[in-house]
Order: sequence, then structure tokens, then C-alpha cells
Amino acid sequence: MMRQSVLAVAFGLSALFAASGAMAQTRPQAGLNSVMEIDEKPGYVPSDDESQLDPAFRRQPVYFRTTEAPGTIVIHTNERFLYLVQGDNRALRYGIGVGREGFQWSGLQKVSRKAEWPDWTPPPEMIQRQPYLPRFMAGGPGNPMGAAALYLGQTVYRIHGTNMPNTIGMAVSSGCFRLVNADVADLFQRVPVGTKVIIRQAPEL
Amino acid sequence: MNIVKIALAAAGLACVVGTVQADTLADVKARGTLKCGVSQGLAGFSAPDDKGQWQGFDVDLCRAVAAAIFDDASKVTYVPLNADARFPALAKGEIDVLSRNSTWTLQREAELKLLFAAVSYYDGQGFMLPAAKNIESSLELGGSKVCTQSGTTSALNVKDYFRQNNMQLELVELPNIDELVKAYDSGTCNVLTTDVSQLYALRLKLSKPADHIVLPDVISKEPLGPVVRQGDDAWLNIVKWSYYALLNAEELGISTATLDQALKSEKPNVKRFVGTEGTYGEQLGLTKDWAVRIVRSVGNYGEVFERNIGANSKLGIPRGINQLWSAGGIQYAPPIR
Repeated sequence: MMRQSVLAVAFGLSALFAASGAMAQTRPQAGLNSVMEIDEKPGYVPSDDESQLDPAFRRQPVYFRTTEAPGTIVIHTNERFLYLVQGDNRALRYGIGVGREGFQWSGLQKVSRKAEWPDWTPPPEMIQRQPYLPRFMAGGPGNPMGAAALYLGQTVYRIHGTNMPNTIGMAVSSGCFRLVNADVADLFQRVPVGTKVIIRQAPEL
Repeated sequence: MNIVKIALAAAGLACVVGTVQADTLADVKARGTLKCGVSQGLAGFSAPDDKGQWQGFDVDLCRAVAAAIFDDASKVTYVPLNADARFPALAKGEIDVLSRNSTWTLQREAELKLLFAAVSYYDGQGFMLPAAKNIESSLELGGSKVCTQSGTTSALNVKDYFRQNNMQLELVELPNIDELVKAYDSGTCNVLTTDVSQLYALRLKLSKPADHIVLPDVISKEPLGPVVRQGDDAWLNIVKWSYYALLNAEELGISTATLDQALKSEKPNVKRFVGTEGTYGEQLGLTKDWAVRIVRSVGNYGEVFERNIGANSKLGIPRGINQLWSAGGIQYAPPIR
């Protein structure tokens, strides 16, 4: 129920933005940036030290047995890992931050679009909660969307970078998956539009 | 002919009963404590902490069995054993179960008359190298200078592996562990090879552990697990299913944090696990809540792994091949039903 209503709200918002025609061409599907984090710090630029993750969350090749084809992205939200399947029982693993409890979802998607240093347009409900947030923020190092975004199908969700590396390993965002900028830039180069993305959750009791 | 066979069988049985008790569960209950054979101290797997309490991945298996029987994971008597003493101690009945990083082989079952209950940890030979090399596969190691301990199967395995894959190998063999670590840390060689669990332990001894990675590839089989004597199938079942309870719990999403929620679950496979449906514990000679007792005492497999040897523990071993079969590994438990 919770998940459905969140999705419904999200879809509603994106439809609203699409209908308003507020999106400039340089700001594609800006409304889709809507479902975002609660305590973002726009403008904050993380230091190199901060961007250095704990060893477990750093990008690394790992053993990963799967029937999914090489090139597929598999996200295990409860582990806080994103796997890029490489075949021969291996995957490249990236540490991620995921949606808070209640904002977590699962399913199959495809990368529908890719963008480097995407712009950010917080949705009205977020502006209401955090009135000090900018109405629009151009892409760049202080942007909460980070170095790149991979858009997931027609949903409002995406795999993106972050200007807050300390949130990797946490459940903080509103359903997006965030990587440190170096990792999302790496992933951006490796996966084309059309890449299959599988999102898995912990089993329900 | 039949009479001869029966007589022989009876004689054989008498021998077994004569030397070893065949109802281990009854013995353990009468004694009030489980006698568990462990190592003499292997960090993360079985070692006493600074208060003298045994801790570790293998120790938690002992605790799980004790919890299933007594609803008290502390009712374990730990018997530290060296590599030579471990199997005779089990065969002679000095311990009820051996939970001590032992590799499952044919000889140990057939010749030593033992049974491995399960594979609790898939180990195998792997490679450690500086992360800065940006190598992601052991097939990219051609031309490497590889350090290993002399006189071990590791040295033989690595020669075979490089030859099979048409890679140039410069092997540097060191007489002991300390020299091995020193040679690698000083850059005498650019790759170190031994069993993966040991690679992580050795990494702790390097001047900059975080600068080194262990490749995900494994080139030999070292399946480790708990062992019991032959001749008491009911006891084998208890050890085996105590272990499978840990795995099934993780797969079902049952952990120390979600156990109370699981007890109220309406999902049939969760109900069978926690004993709100069926008589599975009774069938093992235990109680309805046997699996609940296990999870409450030690957690599920993932919790046991992470606490003792996992990525955020001192050793920092990733789940890798020991992840659940449904999440990228090969740990697989038969269902409770």
C-alpha cells in the first residue's frame, strides 16, 4: 500500500511538471527530479577525504552468481550494493544509499536516459518542507544529483551521484539509488541506455 | 546366509555401541552441556576473547546447536584441538561435534568414519594484490611475481592454474607466514596466494591493509563445515538442520531484529520455521521453537557471518561465494517442511 501510494504521488508530480511545460530543453524531464531527499545540502561540495568510502562500499569486483546477462544491473537494497553483472560468476559491486523504509520498492526497469551533471528541481512538496531549498539548481559539484544520473524507465526514480558521500550505505533518499560521484561516473561510462535494471528487496515476513 | 549377515550386522553394531554412545542427544541432555571441538585460536572463526569467552563463526555453530537443545547458547564446553587431534577426539567421543575450519574430503568421511553435516563456509585459494594495479580477474595475472608458502598445496595449485591458462608465472616460495607477509609488503612480489580466509587475515598484518584487495576468483575447493561421528543419524540431523535453520532464517528475512514479527507472520514458510505451524522441531527430537531459539541466540547466517568475519568485522571477508544462492552465492539450504 505504502509503496503504491508513494509511486502514485511521484507519478502525479511528474505528470504535473510535464503538463506545466516548465521544462527547458537544457533541463530535460526536470520534474522527474522531484522525489528527492529530505535533508539535502545543495551547494555543499564534499572533500576528497569524505568521498573515500569504507572499503566494503568501494567499487570492487566480487563473486556474483546469476542467470542475468552480463551488463545487467542488479540492486540489492537491503545489502546497500549495486551489482553490474560481468559474466563468469562475477560482478562489479558499488556501495549505494537507498530509499528510506517505506520508500523502498522492487521490480524490473530499464535505463531510459542518461545525463551527466544533471540539473535539479526540487518538487513543491519538498520546497514546502525545506523552504530554503533552491527552486532550480544547475548541475555541478554542489548539486545533490551528483556527477551523473541514469533514469529508470518512466518512473521518477534514478541511479545518481551525490554531494553527500557519507550517506552511502544508508537508507536516506526518497527511493533513488545514490553512488559517490566517482562511482556513478564510472557506471555511466559502462552502461548504455536500455540496460536492464533489477531491484531486489529483503523478503517480507 | 541371512542369519550370517544378521549376525555380522549385530556384531558390527555391538562394536559401534561398545566404543561410542549412539544416542548423542540423550548424552548431551544428561550432561547438560554440548562438547564442541574448536581450533586453538583462529581469529574470526574460533578464538577466546580477552575475557576468555570463545567467539567466532565456528563457535556460533556450537552455540546454535546448544540453543536448539537447551534454549541456552552458553551450555557449550569448548575443547580446543590442534589439526592432528581433532578427528581422533571426535571418533573417540571426547566431543559431540567438531566445528573447527575443517575441509570436507572423501578420506575424512570414508576412512575416518566421520560425516560432514554441511558446508558452513566455502573457502578456496585466491589472490591478494595492490588495489592500484586495477586488476579485476585472476586471468589478468600473467607475468606476475607471486609469493606463496613453500611446501603447501597452494604452491602446486598456482603453478597448475597459470599453466592451464597460458600465463607466465614467477613463483617466490617463502618458508613461513611471517616471511611471506614481509616479502609481499616490501614489494618483493606483487601478488600473494593462499586460501581466501587466510588472505584476509594476512592483509591485517600489512602496513596499509586498505590498499590491497583480494580477487573474487577461487582456484581450489576447501569446503569447511561441522563434523560428527558416523552411527548416529538423528544427531547428524540435529547438527545439519541447526545449520540449515541459520540459512533458512536469512533467506526468509528472519533475523534477531525481525524475530518477533516472524512469530506473528501468516506466511506458511515463516510459520513452519518459527513453529506456529507443523511439528518440525519435534520430528528432530527437539521442541517446536527450536529454530526460534537458534535465531534468538546467534542470529541468522548473515548475522553470524557479518559479526565474526564479515566486511565490517576485523577480518573484512566479503560474503562472495558464501552469499545465499538467491543473492549471488552458493549457500543453499533444503526447506523446512
